[in-house]
Amino acid sequence: MIEALQFEFMRNAVIAGFFASLICGVIGSFVVVNRLVFLAGGIAHAAFGGIGIALFFGVPYMLGTLGFSLLAALIMTAVVLKNKSRADTFIGILWAVGMATGIILLDLTPGYNVNLISYLFGSILAVPTSDIWWMLGLSFFTIVSTGFFYRDLLAISYDDEFAKLRGVPVNLIYFLFIGLIAVSIVILIRVVGLILVIALLTIPPYIAEKYSRSLSKMMILSTILAGVFNLSGLWLAYTYNLTSGATIILVAAAAFFISMIFDMFFLKKHPELT
Amino acid sequence: MTNPIIEVSHLYFSYNGAPVLSDVSLSIREKEFVAFIGPNGGGKTTLIKLLLGILKPDCGTIKIMGQPPAKVAHRIGYVPQDVSINKSFPISVMDVVLMGRLQFHRWSRLSKKDGIAAKNALESLEMLKFQNRKIDDLSGGQRERVFIARALATDPDILFLDEPTANIDSQGRTDLYLLLKELNKTKTIFVVSHDTMVLSSYVTSVACVNKDVHYHDAAEITEEMMDMGYHCPVEIIAHGIPHRILKTHGDK
Repeated sequence: MIEALQFEFMRNAVIAGFFASLICGVIGSFVVVNRLVFLAGGIAHAAFGGIGIALFFGVPYMLGTLGFSLLAALIMTAVVLKNKSRADTFIGILWAVGMATGIILLDLTPGYNVNLISYLFGSILAVPTSDIWWMLGLSFFTIVSTGFFYRDLLAISYDDEFAKLRGVPVNLIYFLFIGLIAVSIVILIRVVGLILVIALLTIPPYIAEKYSRSLSKMMILSTILAGVFNLSGLWLAYTYNLTSGATIILVAAAAFFISMIFDMFFLKKHPELT
Repeated sequence: MTNPIIEVSHLYFSYNGAPVLSDVSLSIREKEFVAFIGPNGGGKTTLIKLLLGILKPDCGTIKIMGQPPAKVAHRIGYVPQDVSINKSFPISVMDVVLMGRLQFHRWSRLSKKDGIAAKNALESLEMLKFQNRKIDDLSGGQRERVFIARALATDPDILFLDEPTANIDSQGRTDLYLLLKELNKTKTIFVVSHDTMVLSSYVTSVACVNKDVHYHDAAEITEEMMDMGYHCPVEIIAHGIPHRILKTHGDK
């Protein structure tokens, strides 16, 4: 692994993994505690429509995908705020429409046979240096805005009624935050693929939640966990010549099942450890 | 004679077409300690949420300190009925109480002063030693105290408590009512509770809420009020004998 770092693509993969872990740890924690996993999945898949638009109309990837995902995210947020209990149906429809639009547009794009698998599972081993700069910028933006709005985000996540009473602009913060999820997802799809985005947004925070006394600790712990999954997945993929994205997912999933078994047999006998 | 701190006139509210409250008029003076009694589904929680501005009335007006509720929401402390919401959320006791220090229309950075206020609020409920615990690790009664501390941390002029004693044992209830009585020296307090016999020795007035509201400007709960509030005869039992807290009524 160490000698592999002499290759630029490997160095970029490790750096991309680091930023992906950071974004997933922070944004993923909010997604998990707010029970927004389905919505995040919806945005990630709807983003595929944006990829189709970008390729068909020849606009830059970032512009087409970001625009389309933000639009999908805005619509989903409006629906969630209006009718929380029925929002899942609507998100499911947007999810499918986004994917279908993407596929049809790719069909219609002349002379371009795109590799769909790379958008599903990403290509962390083929991250260009320009994307690393995008990730650096996004991570900075995400961390700073989360830090700035931390108390508001915490309040609306835990008890939005009370937050409203205290004068927190609940709907505005909610839109802002879902916008942040959309931006994160777009950048991460390029690197790790839309399936890995959902895995990284959910598995590390879910494991971390049980061992964290506060949201900020949960963010730190899930960032570390995501980093470990990324690095060890990358190492396995490199050593055994496997698809990197899928390997990282399986490493994360293995840790998820181990933590569940650990909880079932160990924590039950020692409840004082939680 | 002090000005009314809360004035409600001809308030109507319905939920999905079913009337919950109709033609409610109410005028409450400053520093009252008001008990809301009435049956489940009678509209007690709805009335509180209307007064807080969380719900909007179909018609009628609510004035709190002379202003509409949304304008003065930051001067009101609120302890919700359900303290088990988001129970497994990874949040510490301190972070919950600090929510009470979020300022009205000010971005949320907290200062040292906010930390001290939160600690004092926890101390007054003997919960300071739990400040770093996860909310999920506490019992229902302890969680209740944390939510009361959160409401107190706002340093409110008016305090609403929706069934604060539902999860608390009898010693805890007495302590809580003594604390509320102390707070009542500077604050107007509203409490929804079914502890009618305990209540009457602390409160200054009683409102029976059951679709409409009957306000009694005295600290007594009569059998007539119980009939009205609960729409079925309720035996008032005064256990814990040493002092009889209810006025006796004539033999039938």
